[in-house]
Amino acid sequence: MKTKSNNGLETMIELIKVSKEYPPDVVALKDLSLSIASGEMFFVIGMSGAGKTTLLKLLCSMEIPSSGLIEISGKPISQLKGHHLARLRQKIGVAYQDFKLLNDRTTAENVAISMEVSYKKPQIIKKRVRDLLEQLGLADKHDTITGELSRGEQQRVTLARAIANSPTMILVDEPTGNLDAVTTEMVMNLLNKCNKAGATVVIATHDDSIYRHTSHRVMELRKGRFHMMTGGIL
Amino acid sequence: MSFWLTVFRQVGRNIRQTWASQLMTLLTVSLSVLIFAFFYLIYANMLTFGEKLGDDLSLIVYLEDEPGPELQLQLTKKITTFDEVEKIRFISRAEAYQRFARQLGQNQDVLNDMPKDFLPPSIEVVPLKNLRSLNQVKLFSAYLSRLPGTLKVQYGQDWVERFYYFTKLLSIIVLLSGTLLILTTIFMVAYTIRLTILGRQAELELLKLVGATNNYIRTPFLLEGLLQGIIGSSLGIVSLYALYEWIKLRFSGPGFLNLFEFSFFSPVVSITIICVSILLCTLGSYSTMQKFLRI
Repeated sequence: MKTKSNNGLETMIELIKVSKEYPPDVVALKDLSLSIASGEMFFVIGMSGAGKTTLLKLLCSMEIPSSGLIEISGKPISQLKGHHLARLRQKIGVAYQDFKLLNDRTTAENVAISMEVSYKKPQIIKKRVRDLLEQLGLADKHDTITGELSRGEQQRVTLARAIANSPTMILVDEPTGNLDAVTTEMVMNLLNKCNKAGATVVIATHDDSIYRHTSHRVMELRKGRFHMMTGGIL
Repeated sequence: MSFWLTVFRQVGRNIRQTWASQLMTLLTVSLSVLIFAFFYLIYANMLTFGEKLGDDLSLIVYLEDEPGPELQLQLTKKITTFDEVEKIRFISRAEAYQRFARQLGQNQDVLNDMPKDFLPPSIEVVPLKNLRSLNQVKLFSAYLSRLPGTLKVQYGQDWVERFYYFTKLLSIIVLLSGTLLILTTIFMVAYTIRLTILGRQAELELLKLVGATNNYIRTPFLLEGLLQGIIGSSLGIVSLYALYEWIKLRFSGPGFLNLFEFSFFSPVVSITIICVSILLCTLGSYSTMQKFLRI
């Protein structure tokens, strides 16, 4: 059942005392509780090893929590399997820190993959891919093999793939790590646009230029634990 | 995009990426089917030939003296005590002589100086069709040879025995080539699919993360196995048919092969071989998926 967050909006993400440990004794996250409303933009900050990436992996069910409960749109994600999990994942767009691009495929093919699994029509896929690549300044790389792109370009392709299927939740890990100021702005504009269109956006970053003047909530993690929360005007 | 269109695109991509190993598998499947079907074809034809031989099978019991009507009755009773028979016919010395003369045809002059009773009298026993395994015929023959006044029992022992052992050997070869077919199709297909899966590990993981269903990921691999089975086995059967036609053409006319009525598989048998191969290939593909596709 969907719950309401403190600000009266429907809760998209709910974490209750979530911990993640890796053998033998690495604690990546410890007793994290958190609610993110539907349509909210949320920043997760912290130093390397603070648990940002682990949190995103847990949210997209790439990893299973050692303990605690994670609900996405009111559904306990760790209990979802097969068809139901696939359907949920189609609604979550993830831009991974390590990109996870298919380096022997073209930029367009990489972006299209997230729409193909939802059986979108080829014309729709083609149009959406062109639009996205244009918005991210990659129009001329449409048919370039992604293995031949620079790190910054690959990062943008990852982002394009994450938002191509118009997901209701977008998880972005270090979206501006390899980008210059102009491209960073381009990326943030696109994420803001998605957020305004109703998507919940969770950004894990240590680039303070993208959250310094934000009005959105910013949560800081330290050594896998909640440290502080700032902002919060939606 | 429809599910099947996407699946076919994936299959095409897989085949393009691993075409060399796909080709090797296809050839192996074809060759296995060809070897198996070749021996099975010979075996099936030998069985048909054996059945025909069996139809003509009769045991000739040569007697010391010509039996009188009463003894004939007694002998008939004795013979049917062992088992029911299809036919019992007593052949007198004179009848045997006439029959032999007929068989000699134009050369029957050679019998001119021979006495008309030089051939022994005999009983021709045609066993029932259900008594035609080698062991049963042997037992029956032994029983007949113990009848009073019997000189010898003949049924072409050497020929029948050799033929029996030849078909036995063929059945072993068919069994072995069948096992070869099963092993090669399952393992080769499994190995190729495994190569494809390992080569596309990154893509499969990504597909899973962007929300591809299990069917979306698995179906192309199953289809690949299915295609290997369809193309490979059809190629094997077609090659065998071509070989059969070539042999028929090459060795037509009077000769050894014309002793047999050699025929190709019926459509039902051909389709069964193809279907079994398809099933085996799909099984190989499925078993690999279960082992290596962690989804």
